[in-house]
Parts: sequence; C-alpha cells; structure tokens
Amino acid sequence: MYDIIIKNGLVVDGEGKAGFKGDVAVKDGKIAAVGAVSGAARETIDANGRVVAPGFIDPHTHFDVQLLWDGAARPALSHGVTAVVPGNCSLSLAPLKAPDRRAVIGMFQQIEEMPPEAFTEEFAKWTWEDFQGYRDAIEPGLSINVAPLVGHSLIRLWVMGADAQQRTANQAEIAAMRELLRQSLRAGAIGMSTSFVDVDENGRPVPSRFADFGELDALAQVLGEEGGRMLQIVPEFYDVDLTIARIDQLAELSIRHDIPTTFSPVFDSTLAPQNVGLIMGRVEEQFARGARVWPQMQTRPIDISFSMLNPSLFLARLPRWVRILRQPIAKRLEALRDADTVKKMIEDCGPDGGKTLFGRLVIRGGDKAPAAYVGRKLNDVAEERGETPVQALINISLENDLDVAFLAANGGHDNTDRIGPFLKHPLMHIGASDGGAHLASFSTYGDTGYLFSEFVRKSGALTLEEAIKKITADTADIWGLKERGRLKEGYAADIVVFDPDNIARGEERPVYDMPGEGMRYIRDAIGVDTVLVNGAVAYANGAYTDARSGAVVG
Amino acid sequence: MSAAHAMTEQRDAIIESAAIAAGHDGEAELVLSVRYQNGVVGNVVLDAAIGFDLMRNCGVDTIGGLAGHSWRRILEGPKA
Repeated sequence: MYDIIIKNGLVVDGEGKAGFKGDVAVKDGKIAAVGAVSGAARETIDANGRVVAPGFIDPHTHFDVQLLWDGAARPALSHGVTAVVPGNCSLSLAPLKAPDRRAVIGMFQQIEEMPPEAFTEEFAKWTWEDFQGYRDAIEPGLSINVAPLVGHSLIRLWVMGADAQQRTANQAEIAAMRELLRQSLRAGAIGMSTSFVDVDENGRPVPSRFADFGELDALAQVLGEEGGRMLQIVPEFYDVDLTIARIDQLAELSIRHDIPTTFSPVFDSTLAPQNVGLIMGRVEEQFARGARVWPQMQTRPIDISFSMLNPSLFLARLPRWVRILRQPIAKRLEALRDADTVKKMIEDCGPDGGKTLFGRLVIRGGDKAPAAYVGRKLNDVAEERGETPVQALINISLENDLDVAFLAANGGHDNTDRIGPFLKHPLMHIGASDGGAHLASFSTYGDTGYLFSEFVRKSGALTLEEAIKKITADTADIWGLKERGRLKEGYAADIVVFDPDNIARGEERPVYDMPGEGMRYIRDAIGVDTVLVNGAVAYANGAYTDARSGAVVG
Repeated sequence: MSAAHAMTEQRDAIIESAAIAAGHDGEAELVLSVRYQNGVVGNVVLDAAIGFDLMRNCGVDTIGGLAGHSWRRILEGPKA
C-alpha cells in the first residue's frame, strides 16, 4: 500500500518533458511510481486541473537564523519551495566560537535586518560551535529541506579571530581553514560561500574579503577533494568588468579542482543594457573551456526604498530637498518644521502637489511607521489626511521622527521582455531570491510564483515545463543534490501541486512574526495547493501541517 | 583651476551622463556613464553617500549637472 497517491494531475517531471495526465505515488518518503498508478493508498490527493511537479529549490537564501525557530522557512514552503540553500554570501551560523557570536550577529543583522531579539536565547539556543552542532540545532524542527553552505567569513573568524577582518592568512592559518572546511562539509555543508562586497554593521568588509587568491584556491581544493562541492560567491556586481574578472577566477578554480561555482546577483538594467549580455558571453566561453560558472538571476523586479532619515539618491532630482536632507538631524528637523522652507519644498514638486513624483510611493516600514498606513499608496493616505502627497510625505515623516520608509516599485530589473530570454538561457541559473534577508526593506518570497505568472503565462518566455525544470532538476544538478528535483521513481518525494492558471505571488504586506514582534515584508502564495516534503504533506489548503519531515540534504 | 590641473582634466575620463537606478539592496544608486580617453564608455555605480559627495565636489545641485566633469571628482570624497 502506498502512503499517498496524487491522482489525475498534469505530471511535469522536472526534466523538461511535456506534462502528461497521470498519478504520482509516494511510499516511505520516496516517489514509488509515476504514471497510471493503481493500488491502494492511505491518502489520495485529487490533482485534477492541477500541475504535479517536483518541489522548487531556492539556491540563494539567508534563512540561517530563522530556521532556529521556524523549520518551514515561512513563507517559502507555502510557495512550493521544498529545499532552501542558506549560508550564502560568506555568512553561516557555524562554525562559530562562542566569543565570536556578537561579531557574527552584527554581520547577520546587516544582511537580514533581523531584530536583535532574534539572537537571544529565547529564540535561538546557541549551544553549538561546530557545523555539526548547528545542524543538530535545526534539523529536528525542519519541515523544509535545507542544503546549507558554510561561510568563508565564519571559517576565517574561527581560525584567525579579530585578525580575520584585518589581513591575509599565513600558511598555518590556511591549513587550519582547510581542515575546518573539510569538517564542515562532512557534517553536512554542501559547499562554501564567499563574498567580495559585503560589510558588517559597522561598514567594515566581512572577513572573506581579506582573503587572497591563494587562500581561496586552497579552500577550493578541499571542495574538490570532498566530492566536488559548490563554491558560491558575491562578485563586485556593480561593475561589469570586475564581475567578468571574477567569472574568469571562478572558471580557473572550477577547472583546477573540478568543482561547480555560482555567483549572484546578476540583474538587468536599462541604464547598462549590455551588461548581462557581456556576462553571459564570458560564461559561455568559460563553459566551453570546461568550467562550471553559474550566474544566478532573480525573477522579481527591484524596488527602491528610502526615508527622510538618510539622504537617498531617489531625491537627487530635487536640489533643495537634498541640501536639507544632508544636514545633521537636528537642523534637518528644524528645516522641515519651518513653514517657509516646506512651502518651497512643496513648490519644487510641481503644481500637482507631488502626485506625479510621489503619489505612487507605498508607505513602508521603519521602526515608527504607523501600522494604519503601512502597505498603502501615498496618494490614498494623503487623500484620507486631506493633504497633497508631498505634504503627507513630509508630515508623516515628521510625525514619526523621520523613521518611515517609502517604496518606489519596479525601480529596476523590471523589463519582462528583456529578462525572459535571460532566464530561459540554458546557462542562467534562476535564483538570488535572498529569502530570509532584507526583512524590513522588501519581500524576498514568491519569486517562483512570479516566474510562472510573469514569464510563463504573461510573456510566454518559458513554457511551463521549462520553468519547472529551471527551478527543480536544473537546480538539483547544478548543486549536486542527489535524487531530488525530479518526479522519478526512487527520488525523494518533494512535490508541489499547483494551479498553473493562477500560481503567483501575492501583494507585498507587512507581518509582525519575527522575534520580539519584529516586522518583515512577505508575499503570500497564490495557487499552491499542496506541498510534500520527503513524502509528508507539509502544507495544504492554505495551512502548514505538523509534519517535520524536512532534513539537511546534500 | 591651475593650468596643470586643467591639462590633467583633459586627459581624464569624463562623466557623460548620470542616472538613478535601483540597487540590489533596494537603495537608489547613481549610475555614471564615463567616457575614457580611448573612446570607451563604461559605467560606474555609486552609493548615496559617494554620489552626494560627487555632486557637492562638482558644485552641482542635480545629477544632470554632473555631465562634463572629470571622474576624479569621485575620488575627492567628503569634504570637511
């Protein structure tokens, strides 16, 4: 008897083949049969009119901290994601000596924008130091699969202490790092991440940025010796020439040590429309040499957010505003409370009261953002307050000590007709969601739904089968995740059942579900019916189940 | 501006245009189009702090005013 049969769905196996009407049977956490399945099952799921596909795999996340109290990495699981890769950008939570915790918490707060309460004993039992210890801390509570990277910065910090953020390593230190990396890989890490751009909460480069090429080469050798594990990097993505130089460097490491490598983010800009083409050209050349250098591109557009607390270039078209916002906070407040100054600022925004400039902004977070306004368009709130949009922007900021953010949606990477073909490129890896990061700035969830709504249904850049392959079998193959990413007999039963006509991401909204009632932005899943993780139903009918069937996988 | 300084500027890469773009982390960034002396045009991306310093160093109030200035103004950094 099977445990579960999912019947009458459009089965899309993840390998790109055309979907077919059929069934998928599950037993003991594995896929037991695919096709026209007969026989009894303890549970039958009717998938008529739905797609049955392998669970989606998100290869670029920062769920390291959240997994300590939320084994579903919510809301990722509800979007059909059955495996996440945390530990990107050189930062993981292990190996980590107790005295170094404060330093690493600062780095995570910089990236994740997670409230300080998330790092207290109440939410995170900081019992571990080595990678195995971290694994032991999260694994019992997992309802999603986790394929963790170990962070280069953590390895450096363990071996070099404070010197990790000051200098290159000597040969003895590199040897110690190699051993620590090897231990971490054997404890479940599926590769190592490093970064050439990230900073800590004080603006100092993270430890990995002090490594020279010899150190990276020595560590990449261990990745090769331990089965050809992944090296993930964040290159200087703001400069296409430097990014291409990093592609060449990764290619050398890939060929020399027979390892896969990946870099992120890659995004399209209408201001530099040639960049992605240049990057892909070099990637193609390096693949032709035998290297594996996978660029990661996100599906969602990039939004701009700003507040009057810190000067933003978003306001650079308004010279008077810039001059005022560059003043020290006391003088800035004084200026913003001066009627004559404000009158001129309002005049700067045009005769429509800033409706064109600011009206479509969405009011966002910030510690003091009024809950009644968060998530709403400035135009609507201004009308409610009997003000023009620019008056509302200034007054709402003043009423809340300037700590209110405003968001301009679709500020970049938003041209679907350009991005679709990039996503379809056989060497482009769809990822870079940053799930679990940037919590107070924007939502990093729902990129998979957006892939289907925007690039399958709306633009047709990818077929349904191509899109599924990109975020299932392709991802599993790139990362070396064994027996995952396909609906195939003997493979892990990570399965998503969804409505192909409706799957999408919901509107961005604030929720207060972080420790200490900390706020973050999320997007709810639309059109996802059921999610199985290792053969157990982990999400169904809009709710998470009690299943804890997730595992550390590799 | 001294004659030597003027000659240096003539040999420098020049900002051709500037625009605001969305950065990976949701911050607005300043994207400069810079023309080098060999004719090649490339982009330089600056964050808010450096972008505003550049505007001040160039003595301009809007990003449109940056065109024609030497890229070396970027290197001058914040002024006391």
